[in-house]
Amino acid sequence: MAASRSTLPLMKYLRVRVDALPRNTPLTLASNLLIRRFSEEVRGCFLDKSEVTDRVISCVKNFQKVDPSKVNPNAHFQNDLGLDSLDSVEIVMALEEEFGFEIPDNEADKINSIKLAVDFIASHPQAK
Amino acid sequence: MGSSKVQRLSGMQKQVLSLYRGFLRAARSKSEEERCKIESIISQEFRRNAEDVDRKNFLYIEYLLRRGNKQLDQLKNPGTTGLSSLQLHYSHPSSKG
Repeated sequence: MAASRSTLPLMKYLRVRVDALPRNTPLTLASNLLIRRFSEEVRGCFLDKSEVTDRVISCVKNFQKVDPSKVNPNAHFQNDLGLDSLDSVEIVMALEEEFGFEIPDNEADKINSIKLAVDFIASHPQAK
Repeated sequence: MGSSKVQRLSGMQKQVLSLYRGFLRAARSKSEEERCKIESIISQEFRRNAEDVDRKNFLYIEYLLRRGNKQLDQLKNPGTTGLSSLQLHYSHPSSKG
């Protein structure tokens, strides 16, 4: 009797592990340069600086707690004029009414001298 | 000439000044006579607290700020003609450290 051998294919049971390799493609940063121009024509809407200075000084001199002789373009509200922070609030409020526009709180907090007041008002298009 | 050093306001200081500014703005919308009264009362109240309240008593200052903002909201109401309807308390605060 002849013995028949059936050979099972070994490949049937082989398992191959496949590792997916992630490939990183570097992103190129595209930088956009925005060029902004401010029209010089807007400058015509601003008040004259010397006029603003005169009006600011006049306004501050009228303040009851202020010694008028100490008021000059370089005077500091607290250091030179002896005012406190509440007084500074009142002065800035008075300037709002004088020039007819509202100064937001974060800007108003920074104004503590004649010069800063003039600079802010002279560069504000809504000042009348 | 005094030094031109910039005084940095603390967050709480800014809130106080903002509240003060708010009262002065609200006073503008009232009649001229009433406005003078309001500004006078507010000025006295803020300055009295500035002297009496210990600046490190944060809890009490926060309380005053909250109360002040409520009073300001009432004052902004067009129906409110003056401060007589607001109940401002003039009792001295106990600033115990």
